[in-house]
Amino acid sequence: MIRKLYMKPFVRELLRILLAVTISLVLGFIITLLVSEDPFGAYQAFLTGPLTRINRTGEWIKEAITLTLLGLSVALVFKAQLFSLGAEGQMLLGALVSGTIALFVPLPAILRIPLALVAAMLVGFLFGALPGYLKAHLNANEIVSTLMLNAIALRLYDYFLIFHIKPDGAGYNASDFFPKEGILPTFIPNVPFLADAYELFSRRANVTIMLYIAIAVVVLVWYLMFRTPFGYELRMLGANIKFARYGGIDTKKTVILSFAISGLVAGLAGAHLGMGIHEKLIANITIGIAFEGIVVALLARNNPVAVPFAALAYGYLRAGADVMERSSDVSREMVLVIQAIIILLVTAERVLPIVQQRVSASRRKKQNNNEVPSIEEGGQNAV
Amino acid sequence: MPFNVVLRSIFSAAFLASVLRISTPLILPALGGLITDLSGAINIALEGIMLTAAFTGVVVSAYTGSVFLGVLAGVASGILISYLLGWFHLFLETDIILAGIAINILATGGTIFLLFVLTGDKGNSQSLASGRVPNVILPLIEDIPFLGRIVSGQHIFVWLAFILTWLVAIYLYRTPWGTHLRAVGENPEAAESLGINVRRVRMIALLISGFLASFGGLTMSMAYLTLFQREMTAGRGFIALAAVYLGGRKPWGTLLAAILFGFAEALSHQLGSLRIPSQLVQTIPFVVTILALVVYNLREQAVIRERRRKFQEQHLNTVATVKE
Repeated sequence: MIRKLYMKPFVRELLRILLAVTISLVLGFIITLLVSEDPFGAYQAFLTGPLTRINRTGEWIKEAITLTLLGLSVALVFKAQLFSLGAEGQMLLGALVSGTIALFVPLPAILRIPLALVAAMLVGFLFGALPGYLKAHLNANEIVSTLMLNAIALRLYDYFLIFHIKPDGAGYNASDFFPKEGILPTFIPNVPFLADAYELFSRRANVTIMLYIAIAVVVLVWYLMFRTPFGYELRMLGANIKFARYGGIDTKKTVILSFAISGLVAGLAGAHLGMGIHEKLIANITIGIAFEGIVVALLARNNPVAVPFAALAYGYLRAGADVMERSSDVSREMVLVIQAIIILLVTAERVLPIVQQRVSASRRKKQNNNEVPSIEEGGQNAV
Repeated sequence: MPFNVVLRSIFSAAFLASVLRISTPLILPALGGLITDLSGAINIALEGIMLTAAFTGVVVSAYTGSVFLGVLAGVASGILISYLLGWFHLFLETDIILAGIAINILATGGTIFLLFVLTGDKGNSQSLASGRVPNVILPLIEDIPFLGRIVSGQHIFVWLAFILTWLVAIYLYRTPWGTHLRAVGENPEAAESLGINVRRVRMIALLISGFLASFGGLTMSMAYLTLFQREMTAGRGFIALAAVYLGGRKPWGTLLAAILFGFAEALSHQLGSLRIPSQLVQTIPFVVTILALVVYNLREQAVIRERRRKFQEQHLNTVATVKE
């Protein structure tokens, strides 16, 4: 029974990832033991922190929303076996465009917010389509082109922020706070019978309606990937590009679209950074989160439905690290070390299959000793 | 009027000397990127290797009081990190890009984490008295009016960058190891069938790139500045990768491309003082790189088309002669 369960790829994947996360957390604890005066207190803060206060929980949820969008963005290109490191640039431009609209376009909230979000998605779409086009038609290395576009986007963002958006005479590089019409509303509607919950959340942890948008995007990406011709082409491309081409799929169009849609989602994540989290535009708005979508997509194995769960889990670690830094002598960068170990363990194709091969080999030996004929032979180590 | 000022400042010896200084931490990792790129792997981890070396160099030189030991330890740490990358990529079959990203995250987090443990400060290593590598003063050349001020008095890594470019060029094009390396990058299956150990060649390429990128990191923390700052490499590892492509995947081309990037950065510093937005000037090299990428690939496609046409012509001719 257990063995049968283990043979299911889904269960095996889950075990693999849980094992990788556990190993990384144990290594993190060993590091804490070495550097901290109170390692148990520090690690407790790390592991339970996000649940101890409502505002910390709010931070965690907000982090998870950004991570969900980024994870979806990355999964869309990874699914086609392509690489894009362009999320940073797309986020920056998304934040810039949506922030400019939130600040300066004199429309009521009901029009201003959708306009800002759509503009962020549009700019992300275009900025994503560019490396896609270069890849599809010129076979230009997408890693280099997306990295270059990130560098360009960063400088454009700084330029507009410093020379056009920053209020005159401000000592630091940031915009004014967005007006009320430019900030996403709290996710609980302000109606009488929910007044208490609304009060609690809007004051202490402003989780915005982006929560619902993120869930909708998860469903849409899932639908796109598994229920539309484009999704089929995308997955074919990832499975075997030559076969896809001989099968009559317009691979160039699919490559461009997958990059562009990935950029669209990243642009939305950028809008969330400005209108949902910081409520203003600041310098280095994407710092520390630019490459995080990759971890989420890896943990979710590029499955859009698994992405929010991976984002919640990974966001929990990041939020916990913040709490740990504030309440102990261990700095939050430990979570980066844990993150790196998770990536290495999850992506090392041979680490966990090796364990598995050994287990099944020893089982087989035992079975042979008992002279029980074994039906399953090998073939399970392909992950 | 401001344009005149710009021109005059660009052609001053001090400015050109600063271009060399700013280019050095780009040239060295770019050479590393070149070698891994030619061996058929892309080294995203240059950034992380630089950071690790920069940090280790500062810490070791501060605790031992020896600049030499600091440099040695910095280079050793960089090679170690690239060994880690190679081990995961070549023996555990991790995707090299994902492993590279992991290494970068590890280096960013690890250096800040250790900096805090050692100094109680997460920003920089000001409280550690770390060393600086010596300057090279050229006795006679120093007195030449314009040139002397550019080339004399530069720190030792500037010279190292040029010497290493020369050595890398010799290694790649004048030694059997270089030929093997390029063969592996060009067509690993063919190289394997000729008895070249692809895995070993790639590992050596990664280790060399770690060695070169380490000097880039040390330039930042022990020559350009004399302390470690968090994330002080600020994307130079990625710019270095761009220089490889802009330089047409050739050693001297890579060097020139890196100097072009250095020139743009130095220029943007100058323009900043003239109230011209430096951010816009800084985008120029990246735009140029994308254009170079486009041109490179267009040329590549043209070559393939040409080859195909020739092959078809030849083939059709043979078919024709056989029929006759």
